[in-house]
Amino acid sequence: MMKKILLIEDDKFLRELMVKKLLTMDYDVTSAVDGESGLSMIKEIKPDVVLLDLILPGINGFEVLEKAKQDPEIADIPVIILSNLGQKEDIERGQKLGAADFMIKAHFTPQEVVNKIKTILG
Amino acid sequence: MEELLTKSEDLRKVRAALLNVLEDTDELRRSAVDERNKTMAIIENLTDGIILLNKKKQIEIINSPATELFNIGKKEAIGKCFIDLLDIENIPEIKKILIDKDRIRNIYREEVATLDGLHLEITSVLLKDEIEEKGFLIIIHDVTKEKLVEKMKTEFVSVAAHQLRTPLSAIKWTIRMILDGDVGEINEEQRELLEQTYISNERMIRLINDLLDVSRIEEGRLLYDQEDTRIEDVLDSVIEASQEMLRNKNMVLEVNKKETPKVKIDKEKIGVVIQNLLENAIKYTEQGGKIKITLDNDEKNVIFKIEDSGVGIPKSQQDRIFTKFFRAENVTRMETNGTGLGLYTTKNIVQAHKGQIWFESEENKGTTFYFTIPINNK
Repeated sequence: MMKKILLIEDDKFLRELMVKKLLTMDYDVTSAVDGESGLSMIKEIKPDVVLLDLILPGINGFEVLEKAKQDPEIADIPVIILSNLGQKEDIERGQKLGAADFMIKAHFTPQEVVNKIKTILG
Repeated sequence: MEELLTKSEDLRKVRAALLNVLEDTDELRRSAVDERNKTMAIIENLTDGIILLNKKKQIEIINSPATELFNIGKKEAIGKCFIDLLDIENIPEIKKILIDKDRIRNIYREEVATLDGLHLEITSVLLKDEIEEKGFLIIIHDVTKEKLVEKMKTEFVSVAAHQLRTPLSAIKWTIRMILDGDVGEINEEQRELLEQTYISNERMIRLINDLLDVSRIEEGRLLYDQEDTRIEDVLDSVIEASQEMLRNKNMVLEVNKKETPKVKIDKEKIGVVIQNLLENAIKYTEQGGKIKITLDNDEKNVIFKIEDSGVGIPKSQQDRIFTKFFRAENVTRMETNGTGLGLYTTKNIVQAHKGQIWFESEENKGTTFYFTIPINNK
């Protein structure tokens, strides 16, 4: 069965690029454009991995992550933060909240993101 | 009779002379009062707060900006002991300056933030002539506005850098996906062009990272978590990561290290320091050159030394080498990509660890950089 990936990203072009990449790699991709819809989609579709941006309209990525980890139904779903924030404070905060990894968009290629997903899915 | 007349004449002369003296004295007194009034008017009308204390630290002069700042009447203040009188809980630092004997030895300056959000630069000067101490002059300069502008500037750089990363990521991802064949075949010429574009874009991303580092230096938030670490371990991982660069330029790297004591450092930042110095050595040395790294310590410091046989730093430009955005003339001509931020960042990181950094260099012979990290910098 195809693995389900949920991408929460507000930038249209980045979202399209990443969706395209993930489709090429044979993933079942769903995307959300803000924190609130992202969070409800995690609950709804129970993806295998979430790719989460941090600066989002409405509730931000940190809050999405925090809420997801508090909800026992979805707390086990691995969340990879994919953001252009990347100061140590941000990374540490993400890890404390339970992110599986923290990737700075400008420092990784789509293929490297896919490789990370593969590693996490085992 | 004759004698009497002479004496009386003398007396008249003396009287006239005395009157003259008196007149002169009076004039001098008046001009002294004038001078004093002028001086007081100047002090009073300065925009900085001025407080003059005598030897016993009693207030002799206090001007309006200072009385306003401390919310106190002038008459009330004069003659009273500074510390007892003023409610300076709001600015505890002033109290410290006045109590701490070491600080007021000569001249002392410190910036303090008050509880109501003002930033004050407080200067305390010990007034003395050859014989004795006369008292203290305290100058309080409001730098709130400057601080705000500085903060806005730094925040602007930080926000702009983050904002710039998004389109740069889009460019990076797009080019990479085309190069990876995710959207179909491309020919060799297209590949070459795109690869060059990708490299340019990577340079831009790196520049943004450097700018972010600089903005953090200016915010004073450079170091994150510091832990006891052997610099040797940091050095090993930097060397490991630089193998490809070394191989590409066919360089020999000699490393002499002894087991140095653990020091309290931000590992990542010291890694940046070593990496910057090693990368510079590689970049600015011709193919097949030699680099030597020595790690040693004395009683007080761990000492890092990196020696190259490279192009060197022109003598006339050596004093500007740690300046932000500065690049020496001989390297700008070498078509190497540098931002001029590396050594600026490096110096600030070393200094944030209370260490020192310096170099020796001769053009076309090579450069040796040194930095130290104090062993007891806890």
